[in-house]
Amino acid sequence: MTENYQPKPGDKVIRPRRIKRFRLRRVLGVPALFSAGYGNVGSSIYYALGIVALVAMGATPVVLGIAGVLFIFTALTYAEGTAMLPEAGGSASFARHGFNDLAGFAAGWALMLSYIVTIAISAYTIPPYLGFFFEPFKASPIVGTLTSMGIVGFLMAINIVGIKETSFINIGAAILDITTQVALVVIGFILLFNPPVLISRIIDNWPTTGNLVFGIALASIAYTGIETMSQMAEETKQPEKKVPRALIMMIVAVLVIFAGISLVSLSAMTPQELASDWARDPVAGIAAKLPIVLISDVLKPLIALLAGTILLIATNAGLIGISRLAFSLGSHKLQPAILSRVHEKFKTPYVAIIIFGIIALIILTPGFFAANAFENMGALYAFGSLLAFMFAHASILSLRIRQPNLERPFKLGWNLKLWGRELPISSIIGLVATGIIWVIILITQPYSRWVGIIWMAVGFIVYYFYRRRENLPFFHNARKPGGRVL
Amino acid sequence: MEFNKILVPVTGRPVDDETMRLACQLAKKNKGKIWAVYVIAVKRSLPLDAEIKSETTKAEEILDHIATVAEEADYEVETDLLQAREVGPTIVDEAVEREVDLIIMGLSYKRRFGQFSLGNVLPYVLGKAPCQVILYHQYTS
Repeated sequence: MTENYQPKPGDKVIRPRRIKRFRLRRVLGVPALFSAGYGNVGSSIYYALGIVALVAMGATPVVLGIAGVLFIFTALTYAEGTAMLPEAGGSASFARHGFNDLAGFAAGWALMLSYIVTIAISAYTIPPYLGFFFEPFKASPIVGTLTSMGIVGFLMAINIVGIKETSFINIGAAILDITTQVALVVIGFILLFNPPVLISRIIDNWPTTGNLVFGIALASIAYTGIETMSQMAEETKQPEKKVPRALIMMIVAVLVIFAGISLVSLSAMTPQELASDWARDPVAGIAAKLPIVLISDVLKPLIALLAGTILLIATNAGLIGISRLAFSLGSHKLQPAILSRVHEKFKTPYVAIIIFGIIALIILTPGFFAANAFENMGALYAFGSLLAFMFAHASILSLRIRQPNLERPFKLGWNLKLWGRELPISSIIGLVATGIIWVIILITQPYSRWVGIIWMAVGFIVYYFYRRRENLPFFHNARKPGGRVL
Repeated sequence: MEFNKILVPVTGRPVDDETMRLACQLAKKNKGKIWAVYVIAVKRSLPLDAEIKSETTKAEEILDHIATVAEEADYEVETDLLQAREVGPTIVDEAVEREVDLIIMGLSYKRRFGQFSLGNVLPYVLGKAPCQVILYHQYTS
């Protein structure tokens, strides 16, 4: 065919120049987005209940409820922000647009801490659930922690090589997750729910005010999925419409399930039991306490297996989330390019995966000997995530002031009119409440205070030297040669 | 059969050339339009808009080459570079969006676990395509 081809004079082929180097193909709809988000939030119930019960004792359902209200405000803020700026980065992206590069970096760096702790906590709670099959997983801190570390190491390896994870797995896991949790709530309400016992357990085990507030902070761990959904906006078709819709669906689902499970758990066992024997595997505790042996015998292994699988997926989601965030921060020149380096053969950000995976392993090490390792991890998570939430609320408010005419496909209602600007009340309350809780954690929790402050300080030092070396302004946004903000 | 809009997903394999020539022959009758697309599948550990230089350079080379092949066949072709999580759904979405009436895909002989395998992309496109699909298998002695 080609051998006979002779080009004729005047032959011309028009090849239009590509404006962008590539076009993004966004494929996710509301169901896929919801299942990815719920897959993440839904997994946190398997450990959040126990971690909250450790400090809030009888007030666990109340604390989860109060945190739930804050969760609604935060989710609404994310809905406005994500619909307005559908790009990777979540609160880091809001802060970069709302303030400047330094704020964007601080929010992103805080978010990284919460991702790392999510990896550590999810991995740390897998062995206790698997303890149903092999007792030392739950009973021995050494076996349990070593297993958790092995899981993180294994996931690091497969993420460097790059596994193919389809949205089918996400949707399948979310459906299984919701079905099991709803089944547990329904069965629990029929067989265990006892209002007088529940009320007396709540009243008799009411915590101190300090513990109540700390419990609310820890309860934020139950709502880890907001960021995930925001990060996925870049893969969603019509993100301005679909992300807010999926976020609202998630709010409803999460609040109903969490309220149900927390009420059933306190009907099934005393807060002391929940905070000691079942702290790391509270859902297994509910299954074990079911009065009908047949149902209990079926549910116990099922929950052990399901929780193990879902927490494994959540650990992996944390690792994926942090590597994406690291790449996104790197591409906006907020951190050294080495963290965004992609492996030549596997096409994965291997440096970010290795560094942050190793930090997650370090955070797991107190699990070998410290009795309060689990609680400390929770507090550290709260430090990072509340800081990121504060930045998100503040950025949405800042954008309302500085760029009031920016297109907002999802605009929050109930606004306070100040100096001719509309400021959403939910974001103001969210900012103040998360700020107060964050300060309380900073004052009362030495582990998270020092680890958190050191983490942020190291980040700022790296940021300072990196920006100086690149001749970029410390505060203002980095710009491309043409003047456009990166 | 008449085809006015043809989509040719390319992968950089030798079979792409003959697939494109076949597309040109089929389109010539009605002066139809041809789009050659290359899909960069981005791993989930990277943001979807991550610019992976080695991948985009490779993709540009493949698309430039395929445009030259069409040029040699005396035909005009539009090339497009897409970045997505999965290749199969991306090709189907592109076909829907461009309202094409034919997808032509080149097929190489692959063995997986000792068996002939079509891979993941082709079965997905065959199952979900909104139009006719031609699979072209290049003869190799």
